[in-house]
Amino acid sequence: MDAWRVLDLQTNDCATNMAIDEAILTHISEGKSPNTIRTYRWNPSAVSIGYFQSVYEEVDIEACQSKGVDVVRRITGGGAVYHDYDGEITYSVLVRDNDPKIPKDIIESYQLICQGIIYGLKDIGIDATFKPINDIISGTKKISGNAQTRRKPKKETVMLQHGTILRDLDVKKMFSVLRVSKEKISDKLIEQVEQRVTSIRRELGDTLVDFETLKDALERGFSKALSIQLERGTLTESEKELAVKFKAEKYGAKDWVFKR
Amino acid sequence: MKNKAEKKVPGGKLLRVTVETDERMSKIVNIMFTGDFYMHPEEEIHTLENSLKGAQIDEITLQEIITNFFENEMIQILGAGPEDFLDILITALRG
Repeated sequence: MDAWRVLDLQTNDCATNMAIDEAILTHISEGKSPNTIRTYRWNPSAVSIGYFQSVYEEVDIEACQSKGVDVVRRITGGGAVYHDYDGEITYSVLVRDNDPKIPKDIIESYQLICQGIIYGLKDIGIDATFKPINDIISGTKKISGNAQTRRKPKKETVMLQHGTILRDLDVKKMFSVLRVSKEKISDKLIEQVEQRVTSIRRELGDTLVDFETLKDALERGFSKALSIQLERGTLTESEKELAVKFKAEKYGAKDWVFKR
Repeated sequence: MKNKAEKKVPGGKLLRVTVETDERMSKIVNIMFTGDFYMHPEEEIHTLENSLKGAQIDEITLQEIITNFFENEMIQILGAGPEDFLDILITALRG
């Protein structure tokens, strides 16, 4: 069975979280690091926006500042996500794109990796399914959103899929920092966000699952879905240095966050 | 003159455009597509936008530019299609 590296659950600011993803991606591309899975939390709580989004269209910047919520732009497309420190756990899967396990079809590759999350959720008592393009739903409600990119900064193309699993949902806080298009909501004929989105807490009848348990369940889920063995590891010194550089020059820089 | 439009693609994602034209509304001066769609490689959005800057504002020209862009087999789009990009641009230009 293939062995991948797994990093322990970390908590970082948003720019560091995104910088670590790109640092690992770059090292895998260079052949210096193995395929890697990591889980992480966001402190301070933050909004991440997709590569193609306009920060002004998606984020209430003043509200973020007044509430101490950070803002970062991802290298993946997709929507604006509120990463609450207590409300969700985020994962990243970083793998060589030519790995035979990874389907070439984008939606199939989303489905494969999301199956890991589905197994993980099942492990803690929640039934969930994959909803193309890249959502995981429990019943009819979204419990996980995911996004991918494929990049070749060095020798090989590497796929990054990252996403969140909602542990607990504070709808009022989420919409106090995000701007949501009325057209998007009205298109689904739904007035209340609670009808579209759910959380682990809600699905388990108001039970909060601790982060270590969530992390362990996700790791077992990914191991099963991808038929891989996970070997506990840490960021290399080189990855840490590159992450510091990416944070300073890109993810923590206004030019990047406010480019659109 | 700056115009905007947005579209929730049925079964897909939200697509927006902000387009700036010259005073006579004969050419696109600046353009930005935003939204929660996916494009691979991501940086190609700038290629699309740059190819539309300076373009004559007529539907056939704009359709040709957008179609040619998406005919590049290296480019993949999820959550919106070439027709959605054209549709939203025309909607914005019509004011």
